[in-house]
Amino acid sequence: MPTNQSEMSPSVLAGPPMSGTEIETLVGALERNRRTFAWKCGGLDADQLRTTVGASSMTLGGLLKHLALVEDEYFTRQLTAAPALSPPFDAVDFDADPDWEWRTAAEDSPEELLALWESCVARSRANLATAYAEGPDAHSPTPWSGDRTPTVRRLMVDMVEEYARHTGHADLIRESIDGLVGEGVPE
Amino acid sequence: MTEQVYPPWEPPFAGTEVEHVLGSLERMQATFRWKADGLSAAQLGTPLPTSALTVGGLLKHLALQEDYCSAVKIAGGSMPGLWHDLGWDQDDDEWEFTTGAQDPPEVLYPLYDGAVVRARDIVTAAIEERGITGDSGVRLPDGSQASIRRVLFDRIEEYCRHTGHLDLVREALDGRTGEDPPSDWRP
Repeated sequence: MPTNQSEMSPSVLAGPPMSGTEIETLVGALERNRRTFAWKCGGLDADQLRTTVGASSMTLGGLLKHLALVEDEYFTRQLTAAPALSPPFDAVDFDADPDWEWRTAAEDSPEELLALWESCVARSRANLATAYAEGPDAHSPTPWSGDRTPTVRRLMVDMVEEYARHTGHADLIRESIDGLVGEGVPE
Repeated sequence: MTEQVYPPWEPPFAGTEVEHVLGSLERMQATFRWKADGLSAAQLGTPLPTSALTVGGLLKHLALQEDYCSAVKIAGGSMPGLWHDLGWDQDDDEWEFTTGAQDPPEVLYPLYDGAVVRARDIVTAAIEERGITGDSGVRLPDGSQASIRRVLFDRIEEYCRHTGHLDLVREALDGRTGEDPPSDWRP
């Protein structure tokens, strides 16, 4: 268990700065999680992306589509106060079909799933950069409960949690597919 | 609109950075503890067929990490003596995972709960003394040190990722699923 940087792996170091500002640290943590998640889902065929482990119905394809949706919900719809989610999510009735993204990921190709996730992430990065230019205390324009609106800080910390937990799911699913394990992307 | 009632581990909507970082950790500690709760010795030592991780191993790993991140990485001190009494082998990265899969619940749950209390006290005191931008005990080769902020963000990621592991291991044991503990659950 190293406390000296020279003993840490390069991919762990390629994360948040050692002593950066709050925003640099939030962005660095988020980007490291996105990178690790993409690595765990990468290089697989359609059947592999439909694989489940244990008693869970989760798949890597479902995780890609779910995190694309959460990126779009948090950092595009909420942060820009958009009237609806982006395509293809805008056409879905999530009240009637709450597991839509998990269910329909099985019908998508690996290329479609990855492209959807990447396009949502690209929009998120642009919208976030605008939002945090005003600092982490800036409020999102979209209320969560009554008139309570979360700050950009809250949205970003929540998203770090969301990614890290789902990457934990991806760890075990991926290990069951081809034995790939590891904490961070190899150099 | 009726104001939603949130459980005690819900982070603030618009708090300070310290409130959010500590709030995120508290929520994940509660979630991890709930997902690990109430299992027999046999269940604590049962992995998925395709991974070596067990609930017992994860409990002991995060107990060790609570102490390591607080006493060593944040405070710059040494590990509590109880780890040496438990036979901790620092040269074996898998020690807590392999021995945790064998330990009974009456050892694992108090070990984890005690480590959480110790870590909370150390982290709170360090932030009161030095601020979240203050130096941690993690040294870089050039002699500078990682901030407490950086160590805490790493901690959030690690907690969430292991909670993701726990999600799938637990679901296979007895079908327990869910993102958050029931709001009336208490550790």
